[in-house]
Amino acid sequence: MAILKALENIFDPKSVAIVGASEEKGTVGFGLASNLAKESKKRNIYFVNPFDKKIFGEQTYNKLTDIKEKIDLVIIAVPAKIVLQIIKDCIAKKVRGVIIVSSGFGELGEEGKKRENEIVKLLQTAKIPLVGPNCLGILNSKTGLNASFAPISPLKGNIAFLSQSGALLNSLMDAMNAQGIGFSKLVSYGNEADLNLSDFLLYLKDDKDTKVICLYVEAIKDGRKFMEIAKEVTAKKPIIVIKSGRSSAGQKAAATHTGSIAGDYQIYEAAFKQSGVILVETLEDLFDSAKALLMQPRCQNGIGIVTNGGGAGVLAVDYCDLEKITLPDIAEKDIDKIDKRGILGAVAIKRNPLDLIGDALPNRYNVGIDAFLSQEKINGLIIIETTQIMTEPLENAKIIIEMKKKYPKKPIVCCFLGGELVRDAIKLLESNNIPNYSDLRRAVRSIKNLIKNEHE
Amino acid sequence: MEILSFEETKKLLTKYKIPHCETEIFNFEDKALAFAKKIGFPVVLKIHSRTIFHKSEIGGVKANIKDEKEFSEAWNQINESTKGRNIEGILVQEMLSGKEIAMGMKRDEQFGPVLMFGLGGIFIEVLKDVSFRIAPINKTEATKMIKEIDGYKILEGYRTGEDVNISKIADILVSLSKMSTKEEYIIGMDLNPVIVNKDYAKLADFRIII
Repeated sequence: MAILKALENIFDPKSVAIVGASEEKGTVGFGLASNLAKESKKRNIYFVNPFDKKIFGEQTYNKLTDIKEKIDLVIIAVPAKIVLQIIKDCIAKKVRGVIIVSSGFGELGEEGKKRENEIVKLLQTAKIPLVGPNCLGILNSKTGLNASFAPISPLKGNIAFLSQSGALLNSLMDAMNAQGIGFSKLVSYGNEADLNLSDFLLYLKDDKDTKVICLYVEAIKDGRKFMEIAKEVTAKKPIIVIKSGRSSAGQKAAATHTGSIAGDYQIYEAAFKQSGVILVETLEDLFDSAKALLMQPRCQNGIGIVTNGGGAGVLAVDYCDLEKITLPDIAEKDIDKIDKRGILGAVAIKRNPLDLIGDALPNRYNVGIDAFLSQEKINGLIIIETTQIMTEPLENAKIIIEMKKKYPKKPIVCCFLGGELVRDAIKLLESNNIPNYSDLRRAVRSIKNLIKNEHE
Repeated sequence: MEILSFEETKKLLTKYKIPHCETEIFNFEDKALAFAKKIGFPVVLKIHSRTIFHKSEIGGVKANIKDEKEFSEAWNQINESTKGRNIEGILVQEMLSGKEIAMGMKRDEQFGPVLMFGLGGIFIEVLKDVSFRIAPINKTEATKMIKEIDGYKILEGYRTGEDVNISKIADILVSLSKMSTKEEYIIGMDLNPVIVNKDYAKLADFRIII
């Protein structure tokens, strides 16, 4: 498909020109130039700026057409009014892709929209794909491409993030770096004047580096096309979305009841549900769920809880109830079948949730987890650990890792509650692809999003 | 934006096999009364107009009319309170008994026809206990849509022990899905209430917006 080939050129260009490159710190032109210069060994970088002779010691060009070599990708960061002329140069130069980071287009009303349409028409006639305008740019950690003015670069990883907000993308990248979570591709898609969200989704469907797709969405252009493509993509890999604009829902007076009740948010909710897209409410949920989906397999409803703290167990049960997670009953005799040596003894309360009691040593976790995961009706497990005087977090983590090997198809999420005492154990768990969450509610929500909904 | 005429609306309901209460439109009392006698008391009288969206608020609806005398009074009252308004006629309808539910459709600019389902009355207006789907949907999806609302237990006969025919409700939702996908000139629909019991689900009030 033409569009996929076009996106390949944008995500992995052999040569990039920055129009509006600058040496002046704190400017967009500086951000772009310094980000691209970092990986200048991988591709040819050209700076276009008629006012500065040199940028980072490199020769600059007055205009695009002064560059003799072939250009794959052009990034434009000049005032909106002069973008049209640059676009004409792009077409003359037969470039293979354009990103306009400049604002001052469709988002500014009539005049901006006119300007945007004019540019899109020219580029579409010339068959040159456009990202933006009014965006932060794109990043591809695999090829080391940072065609954005983001203040940081992401870690390499398998989460793709497509965002209608550039600012949000910056902050989340920073936050995920701190958590050690990496990205495959990041796209700030701006006004979607040409390439839109659905195009990027379609590209990511077959992208080997991407295992989970996260979206931040304000509004979707061509909702029906989005649904069609999202259905195709979610059959292969999960899409998680956070949608803003909930509060204004349904405020507009409408002639029909249905019209006034069916607010925008509810319509999006239905569309996401029907196309297998996971909708979350907070940014924390977005990346908590991404982490779970990245590390663990998906499952059907029917979850077990194993804990060494009664209170924490009850909290987890409450949250499961809120999230409509079913906790199948497990009979004492079924637990005893696995616990042949009677390690759980008389202390444990043998049901779901399984309370191993505060003085549980690792062997109790071992038997308890085995007893639960061997049950046919338990499809996934939440393991809670509170830190008592006798608790051995690191040993418990090792047991969980072994149990995960024994039952690879059943997802496990952990909630080792604590700070310093559990830090190393959490590190060990996560380096073995078992996600841990600092709060029970986060753990419960994450496993909930591993449960396939009826549309998947 | 206006309400589709009564005859056109009825034609559409028939075309898409959507069951509704016995109803006809009249301009003369004698013919209306004859129809009321034919379908049997009690009956409902209500106006149909292409421009009036809130007919009960202007005194355009009289329910539970038990005999000829009440019929005549109601007929006159409706005519009195709607005098000077642009009315297509007065509908005579059979009174149905059962639980009230509501359905609707809104054509969204981005997603196309959006179907809505909920319980009638305060459940929909105050509690907003409704579910939505983007058309087209099949019967399985329609059934999920019905079961999704918080008040589903009421349809299952919580406390009253009287459950309703879910399958017949789902059939109507599927028909609405077909109709809204094919008849693109329809911009919205309100089917409220739809009366449902063990045996049937029938529209008691409906309007199609074009």
